[in-house]
Amino acid sequence: MSENYNEIMQLLCDRLSSMTNTGVQVTAETNLISQLSIDSIKLLSLIMEIEDTFDVSIPINALADVQTVRQLADLVHKIKYTSE
Amino acid sequence: MSSTITKLNAPQTQAFDFQPSSELKLTPTPTLNTLIQKLAGFNTLTSALEYAAEGITGYNFYNAKGNLRAVLPYRLLKQNARDLAQRLLGFDLPRGSRVAIIADTSPEFVELFFACRYAGLVPFAMPIPVNLGSHAIYVQQLRGMLESGQASIGVANLDYVGFLEEAAVGVSNIRWVGTPGKLSEFPARNMELQPNHPDETAYLQFTSGSTKTPRGVVITERALMCNLQGIVRNGLEIKPEDRSASWLPFYHDMGLVGLVLAPMVTQISVDYLATRDFAIRPLQWLRLISRNRCTVAFSQPFGLKLCAMRVRETDLKDLDLSCWRAAGIGAEMIRPETLRIFAEKFSSAGFNENAFLPCYGLAESTLAVTFSKLGKGCKSIHVDSKTLIDKRVVTRLQADGRKQNEFVNCGRPLPGHIVKIVGEDGNQLSEMMVGSVLVQGDSVMTGYFNNPEETDKALKPGNWLDTGDIGFLFEGDLFITGRRTDVIIVNGRNIRAQDIEELAEQQPEVRSREASAFGINDEDGTTTIVLVIECRLTAATERQSLITRLQQLVYMAFGVNCVVELVPPHTLPRTSSGKLSRFAARQGYIQRTNLTGQLTFVESSDR
Repeated sequence: MSENYNEIMQLLCDRLSSMTNTGVQVTAETNLISQLSIDSIKLLSLIMEIEDTFDVSIPINALADVQTVRQLADLVHKIKYTSE
Repeated sequence: MSSTITKLNAPQTQAFDFQPSSELKLTPTPTLNTLIQKLAGFNTLTSALEYAAEGITGYNFYNAKGNLRAVLPYRLLKQNARDLAQRLLGFDLPRGSRVAIIADTSPEFVELFFACRYAGLVPFAMPIPVNLGSHAIYVQQLRGMLESGQASIGVANLDYVGFLEEAAVGVSNIRWVGTPGKLSEFPARNMELQPNHPDETAYLQFTSGSTKTPRGVVITERALMCNLQGIVRNGLEIKPEDRSASWLPFYHDMGLVGLVLAPMVTQISVDYLATRDFAIRPLQWLRLISRNRCTVAFSQPFGLKLCAMRVRETDLKDLDLSCWRAAGIGAEMIRPETLRIFAEKFSSAGFNENAFLPCYGLAESTLAVTFSKLGKGCKSIHVDSKTLIDKRVVTRLQADGRKQNEFVNCGRPLPGHIVKIVGEDGNQLSEMMVGSVLVQGDSVMTGYFNNPEETDKALKPGNWLDTGDIGFLFEGDLFITGRRTDVIIVNGRNIRAQDIEELAEQQPEVRSREASAFGINDEDGTTTIVLVIECRLTAATERQSLITRLQQLVYMAFGVNCVVELVPPHTLPRTSSGKLSRFAARQGYIQRTNLTGQLTFVESSDR
């Protein structure tokens, strides 16, 4: 995939590592729920950062289908770089 | 009207004279109305709307950036709702049939809600999905509500209609599922709309995220009107200069009754922010209050905590919260500390702590039960912990140094309502004694829809509603000391222990009645959910897999993390009837893990 995509993935992995501080190596396949225990407050901060960094708006309904870092990166990329 | 008042009340973006039909730029509805204010006192919702529609006030919807995205004056709401009602009539449904609506913070939801009432149908609001990875469980929750409410029609905006279509598959009563847009393409019937009777059901309010046993509270027009009148006349003393701002979800009783219906029956304007947008940027709510000079705004304590957490010094200088006269606090246990921190942070932005208005209520009593005194702030009482735990009696703290608890004064019942405290034997207790909180009055629900078993548990002889909460009365004022073990509140969300246990029992490794869920509180008031499972698995990998799966399921269903403890069979304490006791399970867990300082007086028997 593109440079843009890698940039998103990199930011997500970095932010999630420092945010959760569990010692888990965050990769594309990391499960946000079972491996990182992202609680609702952390999730909100993460979404805020994503929205501010990439100037996008993450629709809440789309998060219902997100469980891994890759799925989140796909979502952000889709919103940012594909115009419907 | 003096020019000063006009200026003070002019909402943001309303730089010039009010122009309702401005095409280019949206203008929020004004604060001051052209109509003489009536404080409730209507027979039905639609008659209240007919009156409000004669004025120029209404609902305003803001986006995440704080820009106005839609305006729905009551006048237009009436018109659109009546038009939609004609299309609903085309389905030829029996009067009182249910219409399920996924309630995002949108004009469409409100229009549809009122359209149902004009058409003699009963709407109920369903939540939007808010948790990561919740797709499958959310669909199950929706299906549970569609089935329990026996909905004939399901409606959701484009973002959510896919979930609703999935949920409706195989649900027997459902005749049609679609978006408000599709509904408005149906032919209009052009029938005369029949007025509603006060004894008819106004709406159902679901109170649980259970997939198997959701409970839909039945609220009649009479109960609703009674509660609204108490709220706006006695609780809030609404005035013509009032304006509200809200981020509360429309599918919660406080959001719907308190911040959609109460403003309408007093013909005042409201500024809405979607819950999601508030949760991500809580200060947008305060900015709305500041810019539009809002006077009445409610929140759960958790919402105040979010604001205090996120605010930066630089934000404060742009805020002027001096207009905020009624900062209603409810929907969960109020810790005075949360309010103190908020007041400290925002006093430099003009927030007056006397605006705090603690109240107590629940969906089973429409919304409000008690209100504290307007303009007096949060009052609390310090009591001796030891006598509280040992004797279940409240004694005011005499000397410093003893271990103490502080409880918030939630005030007195609305007129026509009585609160009493009863012991485990059901006998009324005197003041200062801690027991179950019961409520009687016209706001109390008719029952849970199509669920006589749960109704019987909640409604006692004499139509006393057992609230499920624990508290005491002191000089006529109500103080809540805790919830019973069947409700756990985490980050502002009410979660029924039973719903978590039910999720666990759906796993092949877990037998029914071998799971127990409860909440454990930290010193700082943070609640953690603990799920104890009696487990026969011996292999470490299988045990870990079960734990991980359960944590994930609970997260997807309720958006919270939980601790899962596997214990050998027969560890969980049971009552003489073989029922699990959550209270005893929690005591056992506390002993096993050596947790100290856990409050042990909050529970009585599970309802």
